[in-house]
Amino acid sequence: MGTVRASLSISSSDVMTTDINLSVGAGLSADSGILSRAKVVKTAVDANALEVYTVNDKSESAYLYLKNLETEKENYVYIYNDTDSDGLVAKIGGLEFCFIPVAVDKGYRVYGTRVDSMVEFAVFGLDSSAAGPFNQS
Amino acid sequence: MATTTATITLSSGDLTGDALSLSTTSTLTKAGTVTGLTQFTGVGRKTRATTAQLTLFDGDAYANGSHKVYLRNTSTVATEFFTIEINSEQMGKLYAGDWAFFPWEANADTNDIKIAASVSTAMTIEYALFIDE
Repeated sequence: MGTVRASLSISSSDVMTTDINLSVGAGLSADSGILSRAKVVKTAVDANALEVYTVNDKSESAYLYLKNLETEKENYVYIYNDTDSDGLVAKIGGLEFCFIPVAVDKGYRVYGTRVDSMVEFAVFGLDSSAAGPFNQS
Repeated sequence: MATTTATITLSSGDLTGDALSLSTTSTLTKAGTVTGLTQFTGVGRKTRATTAQLTLFDGDAYANGSHKVYLRNTSTVATEFFTIEINSEQMGKLYAGDWAFFPWEANADTNDIKIAASVSTAMTIEYALFIDE
């Protein structure tokens, strides 16, 4: 088992009249967490949309990092819960990222405003024996 | 125009044979533009002594946009978590000491962000919202 250090820093000197300097970090226990770069292949919910988390791949807790590598802000990628009712959990603009917990017993897929957008993603957590490796095709 | 940046750093020396060292910065902007977000809730905390679900951010109260959400579970008890729900879908469980950061569209009245503590013994969530209006 390994450890991943996940840190976030948010700063601004002009959104308020006082500076914002928010800095947090967390140490995550993880057996795996491959940083992958993949192409978004669908523009709507689809059984063949890019899978970023496989049902039951992790046990207890899992965290998804995903960055939209599109340089145009309006070329979004959409993360949705593929197990329940395909509802969106995040809409990521170009060059934006998210770091979110995912329900370990749900699957998550991604579609985009356009096909061929690239994303970078990783899921960190303790492995479950209930699922095989990610489908990153 | 305000400029706010968010930087995430992910690092690990023992996860695989290839050390992980990732750092990326994003400027927080309005939906589909390079215009910076100009409204901010400040960093707040909410303590819950119940496992009942709470609407932390109401989709009806914000415009359809690209708001940015920060959440952190301040608990130090490893087994304690907040279940995060968005758009009536479970996003996941935010465990003790862990944080999350993501864009939020607020595209419908029902597109709420809701939380539920795992125990009723006073858990606290830290939150902030950069608002796209």
